[in-house]
Amino acid sequence: EDESDEEEATGRAGDSGHCSEEEEEEGEEESEDEEDESGEEKEMESEEEEEEEEQGALRWKEDLQQKASQAFLRQQEAAPNLRKLVYGTVVEADKSDEEEEELGGLFRVNRPQTSKKFTADALDCSRFKPDTSHDWDLEEMLNSIRDCFVTGKWEEGQDAA
Amino acid sequence: MESHGLTYDGCNFFRQRLVLSTLSGKRVKIKNIRSKDDNPGLRDFEASFIRLLDKVTNGSRIEINQTGTVLFYQPGLLYGGAVEHDCNTQRSIGYYLEALLMLAPFMKMSLKATLRGVTNDPIDPTVDLLKSSALPVMKRFGIDGEGFDLKVVKRGMAPGGGGEVVFTCPVRRTIKPVQLADPGKIKRIRGVAYSVRVSPQMANRIVESARGVLNQFLPDIYIYTDHMKGPNSGKSPGFGLTIVAETLNGSFLSAEMSSTPQGQGDPVLPEDLGRNCAKLLLEEIHRGGCVDSSNQSLALLLMTLGQQDVSKVLLGPLSPYTIEFLRHIRDFFQIMFKIEVQKPSEEESKGGDKVLMTCVGVGYSNINKTLK
Repeated sequence: EDESDEEEATGRAGDSGHCSEEEEEEGEEESEDEEDESGEEKEMESEEEEEEEEQGALRWKEDLQQKASQAFLRQQEAAPNLRKLVYGTVVEADKSDEEEEELGGLFRVNRPQTSKKFTADALDCSRFKPDTSHDWDLEEMLNSIRDCFVTGKWEEGQDAA
Repeated sequence: MESHGLTYDGCNFFRQRLVLSTLSGKRVKIKNIRSKDDNPGLRDFEASFIRLLDKVTNGSRIEINQTGTVLFYQPGLLYGGAVEHDCNTQRSIGYYLEALLMLAPFMKMSLKATLRGVTNDPIDPTVDLLKSSALPVMKRFGIDGEGFDLKVVKRGMAPGGGGEVVFTCPVRRTIKPVQLADPGKIKRIRGVAYSVRVSPQMANRIVESARGVLNQFLPDIYIYTDHMKGPNSGKSPGFGLTIVAETLNGSFLSAEMSSTPQGQGDPVLPEDLGRNCAKLLLEEIHRGGCVDSSNQSLALLLMTLGQQDVSKVLLGPLSPYTIEFLRHIRDFFQIMFKIEVQKPSEEESKGGDKVLMTCVGVGYSNINKTLK
Protein backbone atom coordinates (compact mmCIF):
# COMPACT_ATOMS: atom_id res chain seq x y z
CA GLU A 1 0.00 0.00 0.00
CA ASP A 2 2.58 2.51 1.16
CA GLU A 3 4.81 1.76 -1.74
CA SER A 4 2.13 2.45 -4.27
CA ASP A 5 1.29 5.72 -2.56
CA GLU A 6 4.88 6.72 -2.68
CA GLU A 7 5.09 5.83 -6.30
CA GLU A 8 2.04 7.84 -7.16
CA ALA A 9 3.43 10.79 -5.27
CA THR A 10 6.68 10.74 -7.19
CA GLY A 11 4.76 10.12 -10.37
CA ARG A 12 2.65 13.22 -9.83
CA ALA A 13 5.62 15.27 -8.87
CA GLY A 14 7.40 14.14 -11.98
CA ASP A 15 4.44 15.02 -14.17
CA SER A 16 4.40 18.62 -13.10
CA GLY A 17 8.00 19.33 -13.89
CA HIS A 18 10.58 19.83 -11.17
CA CYS A 19 8.40 20.60 -8.20
CA SER A 20 9.65 17.45 -6.48
CA GLU A 21 12.78 19.35 -5.53
CA GLU A 22 10.99 21.39 -2.85
CA GLU A 23 9.45 18.41 -1.17
CA GLU A 24 12.73 16.67 -1.13
CA GLU A 25 14.53 19.64 0.38
CA GLU A 26 12.14 19.65 3.30
CA GLY A 27 12.94 16.03 3.90
CA GLU A 28 16.62 16.76 3.70
CA GLU A 29 16.34 19.53 6.26
CA GLU A 30 14.77 17.21 8.75
CA SER A 31 17.49 14.68 8.42
CA GLU A 32 20.04 17.43 8.65
CA ASP A 33 18.55 18.63 11.92
CA GLU A 34 18.90 15.19 13.35
CA GLU A 35 22.50 15.06 12.34
CA ASP A 36 23.06 18.46 13.88
CA GLU A 37 21.78 17.23 17.20
CA SER A 38 24.03 14.25 17.24
CA GLY A 39 26.83 16.52 16.13
CA GLU A 40 26.19 18.87 19.03
CA GLU A 41 26.51 16.07 21.51
CA LYS A 42 29.89 15.25 20.15
CA GLU A 43 30.83 18.90 20.38
CA MET A 44 29.90 18.93 24.07
CA GLU A 45 32.24 16.05 24.73
CA SER A 46 35.15 17.57 22.92
CA GLU A 47 34.55 21.11 24.11
CA GLU A 48 38.08 21.71 25.21
CA GLU A 49 39.68 20.82 21.91
CA GLU A 50 41.11 23.56 19.77
CA GLU A 51 38.72 25.61 17.73
CA GLU A 52 40.61 25.19 14.47
CA GLU A 53 40.31 21.46 14.62
CA GLU A 54 36.63 21.77 15.32
CA GLN A 55 36.12 23.90 12.29
CA GLY A 56 38.01 21.42 10.18
CA ALA A 57 35.83 18.61 11.45
CA LEU A 58 32.71 20.56 10.75
CA ARG A 59 33.66 21.56 7.24
CA TRP A 60 32.10 18.44 5.73
CA LYS A 61 28.74 19.74 6.87
CA GLU A 62 28.94 22.75 4.61
CA ASP A 63 26.42 22.73 1.77
CA LEU A 64 25.11 19.46 3.08
CA GLN A 65 21.63 20.27 1.97
CA GLN A 66 22.78 21.27 -1.48
CA LYS A 67 24.90 18.17 -1.85
CA ALA A 68 22.05 15.97 -0.76
CA SER A 69 19.61 17.53 -3.16
CA GLN A 70 22.14 17.22 -5.96
CA ALA A 71 22.66 13.57 -5.15
CA PHE A 72 18.92 13.08 -5.08
CA LEU A 73 18.45 14.67 -8.48
CA ARG A 74 21.27 12.61 -9.91
CA GLN A 75 19.63 9.47 -8.63
CA GLN A 76 16.29 10.57 -10.02
CA GLU A 77 17.81 10.87 -13.46
CA ALA A 78 19.51 7.52 -13.20
CA ALA A 79 16.34 5.68 -12.16
CA PRO A 80 13.52 7.11 -14.24
CA ASN A 81 9.94 6.45 -13.32
CA LEU A 82 9.17 3.48 -15.53
CA ARG A 83 5.46 3.91 -15.34
CA LYS A 84 5.78 7.40 -16.72
CA LEU A 85 8.15 6.20 -19.41
CA VAL A 86 5.72 3.56 -20.55
CA TYR A 87 2.38 5.27 -20.17
CA GLY A 88 3.54 8.90 -20.27
CA THR A 89 2.57 11.34 -22.98
CA VAL A 90 3.69 9.67 -26.16
CA VAL A 91 1.75 11.88 -28.52
CA GLU A 92 3.97 14.92 -28.11
CA ALA A 93 6.80 13.43 -30.10
CA ASP A 94 5.14 13.39 -33.51
CA LYS A 95 4.31 17.09 -33.71
CA SER A 96 7.87 18.16 -34.44
CA ASP A 97 8.34 16.76 -37.92
CA GLU A 98 5.04 17.94 -39.33
CA GLU A 99 6.64 20.90 -41.09
CA GLU A 100 7.16 19.85 -44.63
CA GLU A 101 9.28 21.80 -47.04
CA GLU A 102 7.56 23.22 -50.03
CA LEU A 103 9.26 23.91 -53.33
CA GLY A 104 7.86 26.86 -55.24
CA GLY A 105 4.63 26.58 -53.31
CA LEU A 106 3.57 23.64 -55.42
CA PHE A 107 5.52 20.56 -54.61
CA ARG A 108 6.25 18.96 -51.30
CA VAL A 109 9.55 17.33 -50.55
CA ASN A 110 8.64 13.80 -49.62
CA ARG A 111 11.33 12.94 -47.12
CA PRO A 112 11.80 9.26 -46.68
CA GLN A 113 11.46 8.21 -43.05
CA THR A 114 12.46 10.80 -40.51
CA SER A 115 12.85 9.75 -36.89
CA LYS A 116 9.24 9.39 -35.79
CA LYS A 117 7.93 8.02 -39.05
CA PHE A 118 10.73 5.56 -39.02
CA THR A 119 9.48 3.93 -35.84
CA ALA A 120 5.92 3.96 -37.13
CA ASP A 121 6.94 1.99 -40.21
CA ALA A 122 9.80 0.04 -38.70
CA LEU A 123 10.14 -3.72 -38.80
CA ASP A 124 7.54 -5.44 -36.65
CA CYS A 125 9.77 -7.79 -34.67
CA SER A 126 9.71 -8.91 -31.05
CA ARG A 127 13.46 -9.53 -30.78
CA PHE A 128 15.22 -7.52 -28.10
CA LYS A 129 18.72 -6.63 -29.29
CA PRO A 130 21.38 -7.35 -26.67
CA ASP A 131 23.17 -4.51 -24.90
CA THR A 132 26.31 -3.88 -26.94
CA SER A 133 28.20 -2.55 -23.93
CA HIS A 134 28.25 -6.02 -22.40
CA ASP A 135 31.37 -7.88 -23.39
CA TRP A 136 30.95 -11.48 -22.34
CA ASP A 137 34.63 -12.23 -22.78
CA LEU A 138 35.43 -10.24 -19.64
CA GLU A 139 35.72 -12.03 -16.34
CA GLU A 140 33.91 -9.11 -14.70
CA MET A 141 30.77 -9.66 -16.78
CA LEU A 142 30.87 -13.40 -16.21
CA ASN A 143 31.09 -12.82 -12.47
CA SER A 144 28.05 -10.54 -12.56
CA ILE A 145 25.73 -13.50 -13.20
CA ARG A 146 27.47 -16.25 -11.21
CA ASP A 147 24.78 -16.44 -8.55
CA CYS A 148 22.04 -17.04 -11.10
CA PHE A 149 23.17 -20.64 -11.29
CA VAL A 150 22.79 -23.44 -8.75
CA THR A 151 26.57 -23.54 -8.64
CA GLY A 152 26.67 -19.94 -7.35
CA LYS A 153 26.24 -18.52 -3.87
CA TRP A 154 22.94 -19.24 -2.10
CA GLU A 155 20.98 -17.04 0.24
CA GLU A 156 21.15 -17.95 3.88
CA GLY A 157 18.49 -20.41 4.92
CA GLN A 158 18.15 -21.79 1.40
CA ASP A 159 21.54 -23.41 1.26
CA ALA A 160 21.37 -27.10 1.95
CA ALA A 161 24.99 -27.27 3.11
CA MET B 1 -15.83 5.17 -37.41
CA GLU B 2 -13.28 6.70 -35.09
CA SER B 3 -15.67 6.90 -32.19
CA HIS B 4 -16.08 3.12 -32.23
CA GLY B 5 -12.61 1.91 -32.96
CA LEU B 6 -8.97 2.72 -32.52
CA THR B 7 -6.78 4.36 -35.12
CA TYR B 8 -3.06 3.87 -35.54
CA ASP B 9 -0.34 5.05 -37.88
CA GLY B 10 2.23 2.94 -39.66
CA CYS B 11 2.89 -0.73 -40.10
CA ASN B 12 5.00 -1.26 -36.99
CA PHE B 13 3.41 -3.41 -34.26
CA PHE B 14 1.00 -4.68 -36.89
CA ARG B 15 0.43 -8.07 -35.28
CA GLN B 16 -0.17 -6.85 -31.74
CA ARG B 17 -2.78 -4.39 -32.91
CA LEU B 18 -4.71 -7.01 -34.86
CA VAL B 19 -4.39 -9.62 -32.12
CA LEU B 20 -5.58 -7.27 -29.38
CA SER B 21 -8.37 -6.09 -31.63
CA THR B 22 -9.50 -9.67 -32.15
CA LEU B 23 -9.42 -10.47 -28.45
CA SER B 24 -11.11 -7.29 -27.30
CA GLY B 25 -13.61 -7.13 -30.16
CA LYS B 26 -12.70 -3.50 -30.87
CA ARG B 27 -12.33 -2.39 -34.44
CA VAL B 28 -9.04 -1.03 -35.56
CA LYS B 29 -7.95 1.18 -38.40
CA ILE B 30 -4.32 1.43 -39.40
CA LYS B 31 -3.42 4.39 -41.62
CA ASN B 32 -0.30 5.57 -43.41
CA ILE B 33 1.17 2.13 -43.89
CA ARG B 34 4.53 2.90 -45.51
CA SER B 35 2.82 5.86 -47.13
CA LYS B 36 6.12 7.63 -47.77
CA ASP B 37 7.94 4.56 -48.95
CA ASP B 38 8.93 4.08 -52.59
CA ASN B 39 6.90 0.91 -52.44
CA PRO B 40 3.89 1.91 -50.33
CA GLY B 41 1.33 -0.24 -48.60
CA LEU B 42 1.16 -3.65 -47.03
CA ARG B 43 3.79 -6.23 -47.83
CA ASP B 44 3.07 -9.78 -48.89
CA PHE B 45 3.89 -11.18 -45.47
CA GLU B 46 1.38 -8.84 -43.83
CA ALA B 47 -1.27 -9.85 -46.32
CA SER B 48 -0.42 -13.45 -45.55
CA PHE B 49 -0.83 -12.72 -41.84
CA ILE B 50 -4.25 -11.18 -42.46
CA ARG B 51 -5.30 -14.27 -44.40
CA LEU B 52 -4.23 -16.47 -41.50
CA LEU B 53 -6.23 -14.30 -39.11
CA ASP B 54 -9.21 -14.64 -41.43
CA LYS B 55 -8.85 -18.43 -41.37
CA VAL B 56 -8.98 -18.74 -37.58
CA THR B 57 -11.87 -16.31 -37.16
CA ASN B 58 -15.44 -16.32 -38.33
CA GLY B 59 -17.08 -13.19 -39.67
CA SER B 60 -14.11 -10.83 -39.68
CA ARG B 61 -14.39 -7.85 -41.97
CA ILE B 62 -11.19 -6.63 -43.53
CA GLU B 63 -10.99 -3.67 -45.85
CA ILE B 64 -7.84 -2.47 -47.52
CA ASN B 65 -7.66 0.54 -49.81
CA GLN B 66 -6.27 0.34 -53.32
CA THR B 67 -2.71 1.31 -52.46
CA GLY B 68 -2.69 -0.82 -49.34
CA THR B 69 -1.83 2.11 -47.08
CA VAL B 70 -5.03 1.93 -45.03
CA LEU B 71 -6.38 -1.16 -43.33
CA PHE B 72 -9.68 -1.46 -41.52
CA TYR B 73 -10.32 -4.53 -39.41
CA GLN B 74 -13.51 -5.51 -37.69
CA PRO B 75 -12.85 -8.69 -35.76
CA GLY B 76 -15.13 -11.69 -35.88
CA LEU B 77 -15.34 -14.60 -33.48
CA LEU B 78 -12.35 -16.82 -32.90
CA TYR B 79 -13.29 -20.15 -34.39
CA GLY B 80 -10.17 -22.32 -34.52
CA GLY B 81 -10.36 -25.94 -35.62
CA ALA B 82 -8.06 -27.40 -38.25
CA VAL B 83 -6.28 -24.69 -40.18
CA GLU B 84 -3.64 -24.95 -42.88
CA HIS B 85 -1.66 -21.96 -43.99
CA ASP B 86 1.22 -21.32 -46.35
CA CYS B 87 3.11 -18.56 -44.59
CA ASN B 88 4.81 -16.05 -46.82
CA THR B 89 8.54 -16.71 -46.83
CA GLN B 90 9.51 -13.06 -46.35
CA ARG B 91 9.09 -13.75 -42.63
CA SER B 92 9.56 -16.99 -40.77
CA ILE B 93 6.75 -19.05 -39.26
CA GLY B 94 7.68 -17.57 -35.88
CA TYR B 95 6.20 -14.25 -36.99
CA TYR B 96 2.81 -15.86 -37.57
CA LEU B 97 3.07 -18.26 -34.68
CA GLU B 98 3.72 -15.55 -32.09
CA ALA B 99 0.27 -14.16 -32.84
CA LEU B 100 -1.37 -17.59 -32.97
CA LEU B 101 0.02 -18.41 -29.51
CA MET B 102 -1.81 -15.38 -28.16
CA LEU B 103 -5.10 -16.26 -29.83
CA ALA B 104 -5.16 -20.06 -29.60
CA PRO B 105 -6.46 -20.50 -26.01
CA PHE B 106 -9.51 -18.34 -26.77
CA MET B 107 -10.91 -20.21 -29.77
CA LYS B 108 -14.28 -21.92 -30.01
CA MET B 109 -12.68 -25.21 -30.96
CA SER B 110 -9.17 -26.32 -30.13
CA LEU B 111 -6.74 -25.21 -32.76
CA LYS B 112 -4.72 -27.50 -34.97
CA ALA B 113 -2.68 -25.26 -37.21
CA THR B 114 -0.40 -26.60 -39.91
CA LEU B 115 1.95 -23.82 -40.97
CA ARG B 116 4.30 -24.12 -43.93
CA GLY B 117 7.17 -21.82 -44.78
CA VAL B 118 10.47 -20.76 -43.25
CA THR B 119 10.96 -22.38 -39.85
CA ASN B 120 14.28 -20.72 -39.00
CA ASP B 121 15.65 -17.33 -39.94
CA PRO B 122 17.79 -14.79 -38.07
CA ILE B 123 15.05 -12.12 -37.79
CA ASP B 124 12.11 -13.64 -35.93
CA PRO B 125 12.00 -16.08 -33.04
CA THR B 126 12.27 -19.51 -34.59
CA VAL B 127 9.81 -22.32 -34.04
CA ASP B 128 12.40 -24.09 -31.89
CA LEU B 129 12.68 -21.09 -29.58
CA LEU B 130 8.91 -20.72 -29.25
CA LYS B 131 8.58 -24.44 -28.57
CA SER B 132 11.12 -24.37 -25.77
CA SER B 133 10.30 -21.02 -24.15
CA ALA B 134 6.81 -19.76 -25.08
CA LEU B 135 4.98 -23.02 -24.44
CA PRO B 136 6.30 -23.32 -20.85
CA VAL B 137 5.13 -19.72 -20.20
CA MET B 138 1.62 -20.61 -21.34
CA LYS B 139 1.65 -23.73 -19.18
CA ARG B 140 2.15 -21.52 -16.11
CA PHE B 141 -1.16 -19.84 -16.93
CA GLY B 142 -3.04 -23.13 -17.00
CA ILE B 143 -2.91 -23.73 -20.75
CA ASP B 144 -1.76 -27.29 -20.65
CA GLY B 145 -2.73 -30.83 -21.40
CA GLU B 146 -2.23 -33.50 -24.00
CA GLY B 147 -3.29 -31.44 -26.96
CA PHE B 148 -0.77 -28.72 -26.30
CA ASP B 149 2.16 -29.19 -28.62
CA LEU B 150 4.34 -27.63 -31.28
CA LYS B 151 5.96 -30.10 -33.62
CA VAL B 152 8.57 -29.35 -36.25
CA VAL B 153 7.71 -31.81 -39.02
CA LYS B 154 9.98 -30.41 -41.70
CA ARG B 155 12.67 -27.84 -41.33
CA GLY B 156 12.96 -25.06 -43.90
CA MET B 157 15.66 -22.45 -43.63
CA ALA B 158 15.44 -18.95 -45.09
CA PRO B 159 15.20 -17.88 -47.85
CA GLY B 160 13.73 -20.94 -49.58
CA GLY B 161 11.58 -22.29 -46.77
CA GLY B 162 9.79 -25.55 -47.33
CA GLY B 163 9.38 -26.29 -43.63
CA GLU B 164 6.27 -27.39 -41.80
CA VAL B 165 5.16 -27.18 -38.19
CA VAL B 166 2.00 -28.38 -36.47
CA PHE B 167 0.71 -26.37 -33.53
CA THR B 168 -2.11 -27.76 -31.43
CA CYS B 169 -3.60 -25.94 -28.47
CA PRO B 170 -6.57 -26.71 -26.23
CA VAL B 171 -9.12 -23.98 -25.44
CA ARG B 172 -9.60 -22.49 -22.01
CA ARG B 173 -12.56 -20.64 -20.61
CA THR B 174 -10.53 -18.66 -18.11
CA ILE B 175 -6.84 -18.01 -17.54
CA LYS B 176 -5.23 -18.60 -14.16
CA PRO B 177 -3.65 -15.61 -12.44
CA VAL B 178 0.01 -16.20 -11.62
CA GLN B 179 2.55 -15.08 -9.04
CA LEU B 180 5.96 -15.39 -10.59
CA ALA B 181 8.22 -13.21 -8.48
CA ASP B 182 11.19 -15.48 -7.97
CA PRO B 183 12.80 -17.19 -10.95
CA GLY B 184 15.06 -19.40 -8.82
CA LYS B 185 18.49 -20.57 -9.80
CA ILE B 186 19.37 -22.13 -13.12
CA LYS B 187 19.72 -25.88 -12.77
CA ARG B 188 20.34 -26.99 -16.32
CA ILE B 189 20.81 -25.87 -19.88
CA ARG B 190 19.30 -27.71 -22.81
CA GLY B 191 19.37 -26.94 -26.49
CA VAL B 192 19.02 -28.03 -30.08
CA ALA B 193 21.69 -27.56 -32.73
CA TYR B 194 20.10 -28.10 -36.11
CA SER B 195 21.50 -28.39 -39.58
CA VAL B 196 19.90 -29.02 -42.97
CA ARG B 197 21.50 -29.51 -46.36
CA VAL B 198 24.96 -29.08 -44.90
CA SER B 199 27.34 -31.55 -43.31
CA PRO B 200 25.86 -33.08 -40.13
CA GLN B 201 29.23 -32.28 -38.57
CA MET B 202 28.20 -28.59 -38.45
CA ALA B 203 25.82 -29.25 -35.56
CA ASN B 204 28.57 -31.00 -33.59
CA ARG B 205 30.90 -28.07 -34.12
CA ILE B 206 28.23 -25.68 -32.83
CA VAL B 207 27.64 -27.80 -29.72
CA GLU B 208 31.34 -27.99 -28.97
CA SER B 209 31.91 -24.23 -28.98
CA ALA B 210 28.68 -23.37 -27.12
CA ARG B 211 29.58 -25.82 -24.35
CA GLY B 212 32.99 -24.21 -24.10
CA VAL B 213 31.39 -20.96 -22.95
CA LEU B 214 28.62 -22.37 -20.77
CA ASN B 215 30.54 -25.13 -18.99
CA GLN B 216 32.29 -22.61 -16.73
CA PHE B 217 28.94 -22.00 -15.03
CA LEU B 218 27.19 -25.34 -14.99
CA PRO B 219 28.02 -28.98 -15.66
CA ASP B 220 24.46 -30.00 -16.58
CA ILE B 221 24.39 -28.99 -20.22
CA TYR B 222 22.95 -31.10 -22.98
CA ILE B 223 22.54 -29.87 -26.53
CA TYR B 224 20.85 -32.24 -28.94
CA THR B 225 21.85 -32.33 -32.56
CA ASP B 226 19.07 -32.43 -35.10
CA HIS B 227 19.98 -33.14 -38.69
CA MET B 228 17.03 -33.44 -41.02
CA LYS B 229 17.45 -35.13 -44.37
CA GLY B 230 15.67 -35.61 -47.68
CA PRO B 231 12.13 -34.24 -47.97
CA ASN B 232 12.26 -32.97 -44.38
CA SER B 233 15.16 -30.62 -45.01
CA GLY B 234 13.42 -27.83 -46.89
CA LYS B 235 14.81 -25.88 -49.79
CA SER B 236 17.78 -23.95 -48.42
CA PRO B 237 20.91 -24.96 -46.54
CA GLY B 238 21.63 -23.64 -43.08
CA PHE B 239 22.26 -24.36 -39.43
CA GLY B 240 21.63 -22.81 -36.07
CA LEU B 241 21.34 -23.21 -32.33
CA THR B 242 18.62 -22.70 -29.73
CA ILE B 243 19.58 -22.93 -26.06
CA VAL B 244 17.38 -22.71 -23.00
CA ALA B 245 18.32 -22.29 -19.35
CA GLU B 246 15.83 -23.89 -16.97
CA THR B 247 15.53 -22.70 -13.36
CA LEU B 248 14.51 -24.53 -10.21
CA ASN B 249 11.15 -22.71 -10.16
CA GLY B 250 10.34 -23.67 -13.73
CA SER B 251 11.27 -20.52 -15.63
CA PHE B 252 12.91 -20.75 -19.02
CA LEU B 253 15.39 -18.27 -20.46
CA SER B 254 16.23 -18.78 -24.09
CA ALA B 255 18.61 -17.57 -26.77
CA GLU B 256 19.20 -18.53 -30.35
CA MET B 257 21.13 -17.81 -33.48
CA SER B 258 20.71 -18.91 -37.06
CA SER B 259 23.19 -18.93 -39.92
CA THR B 260 22.84 -16.12 -42.46
CA PRO B 261 20.47 -17.14 -45.25
CA GLN B 262 22.10 -18.34 -48.43
CA GLY B 263 23.08 -15.41 -50.64
CA GLN B 264 22.47 -12.72 -47.99
CA GLY B 265 25.58 -11.37 -46.35
CA ASP B 266 28.69 -13.05 -45.04
CA PRO B 267 28.52 -16.71 -44.09
CA VAL B 268 29.23 -17.58 -40.46
CA LEU B 269 31.38 -20.34 -39.03
CA PRO B 270 29.53 -22.84 -36.82
CA GLU B 271 32.14 -22.28 -34.08
CA ASP B 272 31.45 -18.52 -34.02
CA LEU B 273 27.72 -19.12 -34.08
CA GLY B 274 27.89 -21.49 -31.13
CA ARG B 275 30.05 -19.14 -29.08
CA ASN B 276 27.99 -16.04 -29.87
CA CYS B 277 24.75 -17.84 -29.16
CA ALA B 278 26.08 -18.94 -25.77
CA LYS B 279 26.95 -15.30 -25.06
CA LEU B 280 23.43 -14.30 -26.02
CA LEU B 281 22.17 -16.74 -23.42
CA LEU B 282 24.46 -15.15 -20.83
CA GLU B 283 23.01 -11.77 -21.81
CA GLU B 284 19.51 -13.19 -21.36
CA ILE B 285 20.49 -14.53 -17.94
CA HIS B 286 21.90 -11.12 -17.06
CA ARG B 287 18.53 -9.60 -17.96
CA GLY B 288 16.88 -12.35 -15.98
CA GLY B 289 13.32 -12.50 -14.74
CA CYS B 290 10.78 -15.31 -14.79
CA VAL B 291 9.99 -14.84 -18.48
CA ASP B 292 12.64 -14.20 -21.11
CA SER B 293 12.74 -11.13 -23.32
CA SER B 294 11.06 -12.68 -26.36
CA ASN B 295 8.01 -13.84 -24.39
CA GLN B 296 7.40 -10.77 -22.25
CA SER B 297 4.39 -9.63 -24.24
CA LEU B 298 2.81 -13.11 -24.25
CA ALA B 299 3.05 -13.26 -20.45
CA LEU B 300 1.67 -9.73 -20.05
CA LEU B 301 -1.28 -10.52 -22.32
CA LEU B 302 -2.18 -13.64 -20.35
CA MET B 303 -1.91 -11.62 -17.12
CA THR B 304 -4.28 -9.03 -18.55
CA LEU B 305 -6.80 -11.64 -19.64
CA GLY B 306 -6.63 -13.56 -16.35
CA GLN B 307 -9.38 -13.86 -13.78
CA GLN B 308 -10.08 -10.81 -11.66
CA ASP B 309 -7.19 -11.35 -9.34
CA VAL B 310 -3.72 -9.96 -8.89
CA SER B 311 -1.00 -11.34 -11.13
CA LYS B 312 2.68 -10.65 -10.62
CA VAL B 313 5.52 -11.45 -12.96
CA LEU B 314 9.16 -10.52 -12.61
CA LEU B 315 10.73 -9.52 -15.92
CA GLY B 316 14.12 -8.36 -17.11
CA PRO B 317 14.37 -4.92 -18.73
CA LEU B 318 11.35 -4.28 -20.94
CA SER B 319 12.01 -4.57 -24.65
CA PRO B 320 10.79 -1.76 -26.95
CA TYR B 321 8.27 -4.20 -28.41
CA THR B 322 6.93 -4.95 -24.93
CA ILE B 323 6.67 -1.27 -24.01
CA GLU B 324 4.54 -0.67 -27.08
CA PHE B 325 2.51 -3.75 -26.21
CA LEU B 326 1.78 -2.30 -22.76
CA ARG B 327 0.49 0.87 -24.40
CA HIS B 328 -1.71 -1.17 -26.69
CA ILE B 329 -3.08 -3.17 -23.76
CA ARG B 330 -4.05 0.13 -22.18
CA ASP B 331 -5.80 1.18 -25.40
CA PHE B 332 -7.72 -2.05 -25.90
CA PHE B 333 -8.37 -3.29 -22.36
CA GLN B 334 -7.91 -0.17 -20.18
CA ILE B 335 -5.43 -2.03 -18.03
CA MET B 336 -2.34 -0.33 -16.69
CA PHE B 337 0.38 -2.29 -14.99
CA LYS B 338 2.17 -1.35 -11.83
CA ILE B 339 5.83 -1.28 -12.76
CA GLU B 340 8.42 -1.52 -10.00
CA VAL B 341 12.15 -1.67 -10.47
CA GLN B 342 13.90 -4.28 -8.36
CA LYS B 343 17.61 -3.90 -7.91
CA PRO B 344 19.48 -7.07 -7.02
CA SER B 345 21.26 -6.79 -3.67
CA GLU B 346 24.91 -5.77 -3.66
CA GLU B 347 26.43 -8.96 -2.30
CA GLU B 348 24.75 -11.16 -4.88
CA SER B 349 25.78 -11.23 -8.50
CA LYS B 350 22.52 -11.84 -10.28
CA GLY B 351 22.77 -9.61 -13.31
CA GLY B 352 20.97 -6.36 -14.00
CA ASP B 353 17.89 -4.62 -12.66
CA LYS B 354 14.60 -6.46 -12.83
CA VAL B 355 11.09 -5.15 -13.25
CA LEU B 356 8.14 -6.45 -11.26
CA MET B 357 4.93 -6.17 -13.26
CA THR B 358 1.64 -6.28 -11.36
CA CYS B 359 -1.90 -6.06 -12.65
CA VAL B 360 -5.44 -7.18 -11.96
CA GLY B 361 -6.86 -9.27 -14.78
CA VAL B 362 -9.92 -8.12 -16.68
CA GLY B 363 -11.67 -11.41 -15.95
CA TYR B 364 -11.83 -12.34 -19.60
CA SER B 365 -13.87 -15.43 -20.23
CA ASN B 366 -13.89 -17.23 -23.51
CA ILE B 367 -17.44 -16.87 -24.72
CA ASN B 368 -16.58 -18.70 -27.92
CA LYS B 369 -15.88 -21.97 -26.15
CA THR B 370 -18.69 -24.48 -26.45
CA LEU B 371 -20.07 -25.80 -23.19
CA LYS B 372 -20.15 -29.54 -22.78
